[in-house]
Amino acid sequence: MEEQLFQPPESAPDAPAAPADGPPQPGLPGPFAVGRYAAKLREELRKRARVQLIGEVAGLGRSRTQSYFELRDADGAVPCAIWLDDLEKLKLPEGALRDGAEIVVAGGPDYYPGSAQASPSFSFRVTHVRLAGEGDLLARLAALRKALEAEGLFELQKRLDRPALPRTIGVVTGERGAARRDLLAGLQRRGWRGTIVWGFAPVQDRHAAPAITRAVQDLAALPEVDVIAVARGGGSLADLWAFCDETLCRTVAMLRVPVVSAVGHERDRTLIDDVAAVACSTPTHAAEAVVPLDCGAARQGLDRCARGLERAAAGAVSGRARHLAALARGPQRALDRQRHALNQITREMRAASQRRVAERSDFQRRIAIVVLDRAQRRAHESVVRCAAENARSSAALERSARRALDRRRQALGRIGVTLRAHDPDRTLERGYVLAEAGDGEPLTSAAAADAANRFSLRFADGRLAARSEGPQEDE
Amino acid sequence: VNESTRPESYEKAVERLEEIIDRLDSGQAGLRETLELCREGRDLVEYCAAELDAVGEGLRELRLDEMAAKLEQAPATAAEREED
Repeated sequence: MEEQLFQPPESAPDAPAAPADGPPQPGLPGPFAVGRYAAKLREELRKRARVQLIGEVAGLGRSRTQSYFELRDADGAVPCAIWLDDLEKLKLPEGALRDGAEIVVAGGPDYYPGSAQASPSFSFRVTHVRLAGEGDLLARLAALRKALEAEGLFELQKRLDRPALPRTIGVVTGERGAARRDLLAGLQRRGWRGTIVWGFAPVQDRHAAPAITRAVQDLAALPEVDVIAVARGGGSLADLWAFCDETLCRTVAMLRVPVVSAVGHERDRTLIDDVAAVACSTPTHAAEAVVPLDCGAARQGLDRCARGLERAAAGAVSGRARHLAALARGPQRALDRQRHALNQITREMRAASQRRVAERSDFQRRIAIVVLDRAQRRAHESVVRCAAENARSSAALERSARRALDRRRQALGRIGVTLRAHDPDRTLERGYVLAEAGDGEPLTSAAAADAANRFSLRFADGRLAARSEGPQEDE
Repeated sequence: VNESTRPESYEKAVERLEEIIDRLDSGQAGLRETLELCREGRDLVEYCAAELDAVGEGLRELRLDEMAAKLEQAPATAAEREED
């Protein structure tokens, strides 16, 4: 029967039969007497493994016999109790066990079954307590860091665009901390004089993390806030523990407004530094991260820009005018170049043609010499030929002339003979007389002779003077 | 700067200004483009100067708790008026 109290249902044999009026859940073992069950429960709980727990003390109280408190963190809590005798044996420093203290406890679960007058209660029976050291916190921080990183929460803020020149900045910090003053000074050094919304919060106790979380959320809810800074001066890891709070860090990671963390000094690395868009080691750096633009330098740069633009605008016109003027001179230069080239070519051509003419005339001269030589030779040959021919011709001519002369001589002879036949002298020889006037003119009629009166008679052998006595009468 | 050409942010404006200056410095922009770039650049300079003026006039400090209190009061007063 005793064994059945804490055995799983399937292995619980011989469950008493349900009474006729029926239990609320038929088929389950029992009903058992509650006192016995409570005692068995304590016995079972005390069998659980003894462990160490780390967390923050809350609601510390004390009775006659024991001290009690809750050990908490962001995810939950366990009620703890320690016998005063045990506590005294630990010799903790005065006030070490206080609300908000980060402690490590050792012990195991226990149950007080109560009594007829006393209420029952569950508690983690603490046998040892010590203040949490850096190592414990670092171990917790490492575990948290690993978990958040695995969920990709470190990247979300880093993907947000941070404005170079925010108009309104939200700042979460302690109202009287040096961080506030340093951040303001840093912003002023950058020449930034916009609007700051201060979200003041405690920065070092168990109320810090929820207050900081709320402030960050409220600032992010203001539409005019462009960027949020979370700032606190340096301290031990325990002092800065609020900034490793899981809820705070998850909240920051999910914000749509970039968060710049400036918690502690260079060597302190809190969890909010990991999830924030930018982590800075000092408030001065934070001012630079919150307002990336150095406003004074930007104004000077802008002035230079404006002057550059004016110069570019003016230069675009005047530069082009100069270019145009240069271009206008271009064609003349090109013409000059072409003319020069042309002259050069002409000179070369002339020289070339002179060379060519000389070559050609030389060639022609040589040709002419050859031709003339040949012509002369031919002429000479022709002359020789002609001379020969002439010689031949002149011989022939001579011969022919001689023959013609002979022929003419013969014809002349013949003509002479003929002529002589007709010669009056020859007639006179034959006895005829020729009457001639004093001037030698023949008188061929008697009348002419009578008219002449005196005339001469020519005989073959000489002349006789005669005178007409008038016509003679026939007898 | 008119609404249609108003830059998204100061950094976008500066980015565009740098592009413009680079383009002008390259000497590759034609006359028309140069004059248009100069006009756009002047508008951007004007916008940036206005943004700088907005954060250069004087530090203004507000408290989140006071703002929250005012916000809480406002709906309450409105509710009271509704009840009246």
